[in-house]
Amino acid sequence: MHYYRHMRLLLVEDEIDIQRFLRSSLQEAGYEVEAAADGKTAERLAVEGPFDILIVDLGLPDQDGISLILRLRQLGVRAPVLILSARRSVDDRVRGLEQGGDDYLTKPFALAELLARLRNLLKRNSPAASEATRLRVLDLELDLLRREASRGGELLQLTQQEFVLLEYLCRNAGRVVTRSMILDKVWGMRIQPDTNVVDVHIYRLRGKVDGKGQQPLIRTLRGVGYVLKDR
Amino acid sequence: MSSKTAKPVMRSAAWRISLWATLAFAIGTMLVFVFLHRFVAEDIQRRSDAWLSGEVEVLADVAERTPKDAVYDTVVGEVAELAGKEVPNKDQSEGTSNDSVFFLQTGDDGSLKLWVGAGTGEPNLRAIQARRIVPDHPTDVQVKGFGVPFRVASTRIDDGSYIYLGLSERDELRVLRSLRLRFILLWLLIVLLGFGIVFTTTRRMLSHVRRITEAASRIGHSDLGARVPTVERTDEVGHLALTLNRMLDRIESSIHQLHTITDSLAHDLRSPLTAIRGKLEMSLSAETQSEQAESIVSAIDELDRLTDFLNKSLDVAEAKADALRLTRSEIDLDALLKVMIDLYEPSMAETGLQIKLRSVGSLKIEGDESLIHRMIANLFDNELKHLPSASSVTVQLRAEDDFAMLVLEDNGPGFSPEVLPHLFERRVKGKQSNGHGLGLAFIDAVARTHGGTVTACNRPSGGAQISVSLPLAAKSKSG
Repeated sequence: MHYYRHMRLLLVEDEIDIQRFLRSSLQEAGYEVEAAADGKTAERLAVEGPFDILIVDLGLPDQDGISLILRLRQLGVRAPVLILSARRSVDDRVRGLEQGGDDYLTKPFALAELLARLRNLLKRNSPAASEATRLRVLDLELDLLRREASRGGELLQLTQQEFVLLEYLCRNAGRVVTRSMILDKVWGMRIQPDTNVVDVHIYRLRGKVDGKGQQPLIRTLRGVGYVLKDR
Repeated sequence: MSSKTAKPVMRSAAWRISLWATLAFAIGTMLVFVFLHRFVAEDIQRRSDAWLSGEVEVLADVAERTPKDAVYDTVVGEVAELAGKEVPNKDQSEGTSNDSVFFLQTGDDGSLKLWVGAGTGEPNLRAIQARRIVPDHPTDVQVKGFGVPFRVASTRIDDGSYIYLGLSERDELRVLRSLRLRFILLWLLIVLLGFGIVFTTTRRMLSHVRRITEAASRIGHSDLGARVPTVERTDEVGHLALTLNRMLDRIESSIHQLHTITDSLAHDLRSPLTAIRGKLEMSLSAETQSEQAESIVSAIDELDRLTDFLNKSLDVAEAKADALRLTRSEIDLDALLKVMIDLYEPSMAETGLQIKLRSVGSLKIEGDESLIHRMIANLFDNELKHLPSASSVTVQLRAEDDFAMLVLEDNGPGFSPEVLPHLFERRVKGKQSNGHGLGLAFIDAVARTHGGTVTACNRPSGGAQISVSLPLAAKSKSG
């Protein structure tokens, strides 16, 4: 009996280049990855071994990705699916799946975002974790009921929006979050501004959280996003 | 049904068409009847004239041959009375009393010699003498005490006396009157029936046309797959529907083709972009601290810009062809603007810009969330990139008729005059701009696809103004 096991992931992607880098990135992130380049192989693999999560590209050579997902659901595959799409418009059927608990990501994407969405899907699928009312990362503490944050026991003067942003960073402490993830989760928008709007928010938040003489918690990973240190 | 059908019937085309058609029909049939009536009246007159002339000849003959003795009056009188019973056009129901015919003989001195008929004959004689009747030409004589005139024929006998035979025109007029009455009744019936038939037919015909029009106007932006209703008939309306549907088939197929092209273009470009981005990220995680990290980071930035450019180019291309695909939902512009300003305010403050919102409150539109978000982000990015510090931006939101008006005003340098006329074209940008020049074209594309407009101008007091109008959602219009 293993106390800890790797999450098993089925990657269905026909572009060999993308498949290769995804496989190695996902393995690096701790997943046990099986890959398929077409729908038939994917179907066989999915039925053979149980997977915790699936990544399915919509544009497969032998069939439509959505048909594959629906087929797998018929075959009894219950694992959540992250849909990858290079299409321009989001198909209504994808929206349907999204409502059914699956998620989608348009290409090209940031790896950090892919990983974050995978984590979210797995979390949603696991037995409900008791909803905490307090979040603690090192000496940073968030009271979710009173919407108050303090560092080293000292109350931080945050605006409502800053609190939401910090909460999001805390929930993903130790993991990279990208600008588009922040825009999506904190402001509810899937936009790509060609200005530094998110950076300025982070900069302001950092000014309040990381005071003088304190260990900086919010780190910038250039070209990737931000991470709240948890070690 | 929709409110359009509720307009009064009197103003519909069917009503007008049937009114004119019925009017033409009614006048035409009336003219035909007038001619027929005249023909019938003349014919009846000719017949009675012929009878009168014949009878008066016979009577003259009898009067000449009968010796002028005591029984003369009786003989001639009886013959005259017999003649009176064979009157043409006579109403059989009237029985024996005969006031429709009179016979009158005058002596050579003009006095009444013999009278057969109703009354004394004196008024008849006076009327005849007043009319000065020419022999052998039947003439109308109006006798005092009778409503209808008599037709009187006369002849002269050899002994110098005149005999007159008068026939009342009462029966003749009665025939004509009943003819007219029957015609009018039938005519009214036919005209009403004709109106009803024409009205229902044109109405049915035009209701097909209206349904086609309504369906055709619904198609277009939202639903290219829909078709106008077709009718089984092969008349002009059926033909119109078929032609429209064939045209829609062609439009749909060319739009579909455009989508296929943009989709495959997007796919073909995004797949390598994904691979490149992934590889760059992997090498970045391996080399976080080195010199190379800097160039990898900027390569990723460039790649993201390229992706954004690709997306916008394809959006603009599709929007120019009215082929942008929308997934509509209800969006409250007021709430959205508040979130957007909240998002952009720190960056603006950082560059020394002020932003203010003046909103009438909740205004809802039906739009594609992602496109509207990107459009407003574009507007704000635009201000953020082009305004010198210490400028201020005012965002106004208000309702005008059935449109939500979103107006951005600043007190910056405004648009340069050479760029202003071409603002919404692709690849137009100011000299200092570092964008790819798609921003305003994209804003225009999104607004147009939603059935709105974008206008840009320089304010008289200086600074630029961009106004976006978007149709309000059906629910907020009534409120």
